[in-house]
Amino acid sequence: MRAARTRRMRLVGGFAAIALLAACSGGDSITDTGATNPPTTAVGPDDSGVSTTLAPTTTVAPDTLPDCPTDALADASGTVSLELWHGMTGALGEQMDALVADYNASQSAVKVELISGSYEETFDNYLQSNQDNRPDLIQLPEYTVQSIIDTESVIPVGKCIDASGFDTAPFLTSALSAYETQGVQWSMPFNVSNPVLFYNKRVFEAAGLDPNTPPTSLEELRAFSEQIVESGAATYGIALESGFDSGGGWYVEQWFAKAQEFYLNGDNGRTNRATQVLYNNDTGVELLTFLQQMIQDGLAANVGDNSGTGFDNLLKLADELQPAAMTIATSASLGPVLEVLGSGQFPGINADDVGVGPMPGPDGAPGALIGGASLWMVDHDDPVRAAAAWDFITFMVSAQSQSTWAAGTGYVPIRSDALDVEPYASTVAADARFAVALEQLESSPDALTSAGPVVGPLREIRSVLATAVAAILDGADVQTTLDEAAQQANNLIADYNARNS
Amino acid sequence: MKRRLRDVPGAVAMLLPSMLLLAVWTVYPLVKAFINGTKSCDSTGTRCTDVGWQQYSNVWSSREFQDALAVSLKLALMTVPTGLILGVGLAVLADKHLRGIGFFRTVFSSTVATSVAVASLVWVVLLQPEIGVLSDLFSGWIPSLKNPGLLRDPGTALPAVALSSVWANLGFTFIVVTAGLQSIPRDLYESAYVDGASSWRRFTNVTLPMLTPSLLFIVVVLTTRALQAYGEIALLTQGGPNPEKSTTTIPYLIYGENSLIRNNLGLKSAAAVLLFLVSLVFAVVQYRGFEKRVQYAR
Repeated sequence: MRAARTRRMRLVGGFAAIALLAACSGGDSITDTGATNPPTTAVGPDDSGVSTTLAPTTTVAPDTLPDCPTDALADASGTVSLELWHGMTGALGEQMDALVADYNASQSAVKVELISGSYEETFDNYLQSNQDNRPDLIQLPEYTVQSIIDTESVIPVGKCIDASGFDTAPFLTSALSAYETQGVQWSMPFNVSNPVLFYNKRVFEAAGLDPNTPPTSLEELRAFSEQIVESGAATYGIALESGFDSGGGWYVEQWFAKAQEFYLNGDNGRTNRATQVLYNNDTGVELLTFLQQMIQDGLAANVGDNSGTGFDNLLKLADELQPAAMTIATSASLGPVLEVLGSGQFPGINADDVGVGPMPGPDGAPGALIGGASLWMVDHDDPVRAAAAWDFITFMVSAQSQSTWAAGTGYVPIRSDALDVEPYASTVAADARFAVALEQLESSPDALTSAGPVVGPLREIRSVLATAVAAILDGADVQTTLDEAAQQANNLIADYNARNS
Repeated sequence: MKRRLRDVPGAVAMLLPSMLLLAVWTVYPLVKAFINGTKSCDSTGTRCTDVGWQQYSNVWSSREFQDALAVSLKLALMTVPTGLILGVGLAVLADKHLRGIGFFRTVFSSTVATSVAVASLVWVVLLQPEIGVLSDLFSGWIPSLKNPGLLRDPGTALPAVALSSVWANLGFTFIVVTAGLQSIPRDLYESAYVDGASSWRRFTNVTLPMLTPSLLFIVVVLTTRALQAYGEIALLTQGGPNPEKSTTTIPYLIYGENSLIRNNLGLKSAAAVLLFLVSLVFAVVQYRGFEKRVQYAR
């Protein structure tokens, strides 16, 4: 008995000793500890303006980039085998398999093999592999653009577009420009999504609102929410969250684009390498103050950082006890949402009750940034494989393929003429909700602000901002919190730029 | 002595395959990680500059690492004693020769066949505040199940993760203890019984001492598992709730979806090596603490 007690005391003692060690130092952020210690004086907390000190302009001279010999496929002896690493899993993966099988069956010159994982796995594997082990093609999400450019391992698809005279006229400008920096078209958009407003039409009706007129501006969003809450039609107007790939990061980028404001200096990192985030400026403060106020006034529910299920905010619409009437989510979730609600297991909302509108933004400005992923061509110094990869890409972005893909997955086609091709034409004709995300993209103004931010550690910056947004939704001071987050993001950028150039 | 020398080539030949595997898959990566921790590299990990061992102390004293270390230790403190007590309790209960006991043994050990992913998904569905089963049934008694939800409340998120972890590890503890119990000679119990020892006395004076080898093994394994907890964090909370980051353990700090050092080879190697050292210290302390009390059956 005594032995057992002593043993337990020893164990507790061990824990306590280490816990004490842990408690004894306050410390800097882990991101400040790199060798390339970023200058901590980069931005004072009150210096929220546009920086005048840009990183040295590293304009990529197009002639130093690898060429794209698009006619080299004729020199191939036998079938060229290509490897494509992609991030489509589950039901999306099945659609990907089917589309690629169509390509392999349509011709005999090229055969594409697929290797799938999550986006993150795919991205990590690519970074950690040496050039020989990398695939011929890789599908990567929008936040990886600068990182992949910095690996100096790809053939920009722009070279292929020029070499083959490929017609990009029917393409959405914003889809292409999302993957273009310093005048170079780096990769080919393939699967595109953007955030839209999901709302419960039944609640709108009960609150005396027109179920077919969703709010388009933030002012309307608040007014609608007030009416919904006051009428008792739902507990909350809107469900907000602070996930880094959604409400805490990506949507803030979206709102900056809608306000036609830059999120990063260097014109969002598109004309010069970015060195600073700008989200702690007046636009950012105004926006987050608005969201904080919505929560403090009981008009919005805060469902946290959307971990666990990944769509807690959508589930809030189906909550029986304390439902919300609206939420913002990626257009790619429309298919699954309708499928789940179609089962009829939620009494408060069924598939027909779901309304879809454009993402409400400052002053009701239209437009949205591109989310989703693009196809990159990896440089193996082999004209035949490069030409084969390009041939495959032209198939994947044809009007027919994009129509098939969009109808099967809920992604937005990257070209307007896919709307006229079956099966997507029927999908949209049968259910106009599937066209909202496309219309939203088509209405994006043709400006650099609509191309979205490009910077090496974009994902890490989203993570930092998401923590700040969570604090703000909990009631923290908006300006101070954003300034601190901006400081940390700027350090991340300085550290990244120092390590990668 | 001579004979021993003669045995050396044979011994080496027989050990070589496992030594080779160990060298390639364990020793080499470990040494490499130690060295990488002194470097600052680009995202691909190819262009590196040497920054020295200083980086280890910088990472150790950084705010994020200290917070994550505290979370990891709290998680170990919550899961190891609970898991141990429940595992021993269930195993002793099921160590009876009763009709139908096999059914209970199967149930108690079933979580061994449940992967972390499955276990965590079960708990996500149970704890989800909007449509989850528990919040529907019990939110009248425990309001925080619904608002904000156990996994969203910075105070309860880590205990909720610990709960899922304890549940998932229970089968393992149960099986190891059951095996330990069956190796205890029955005559020890009989002589204790003859001496008039109560059943509690028999448990504390026969069962527990004879179980110490199993218990040591379990404590070390459970502690290491707790310090390395990743899957349940990734599936249940992703290190949140934010901004407190109440469940960001060291592994999640290193490799989580929202990690700030995920593509920074030097920093993440340093953090990983420090985690290894912390685990090592624990294992050594635990071995030392148990050593004198462990009774290996002769």
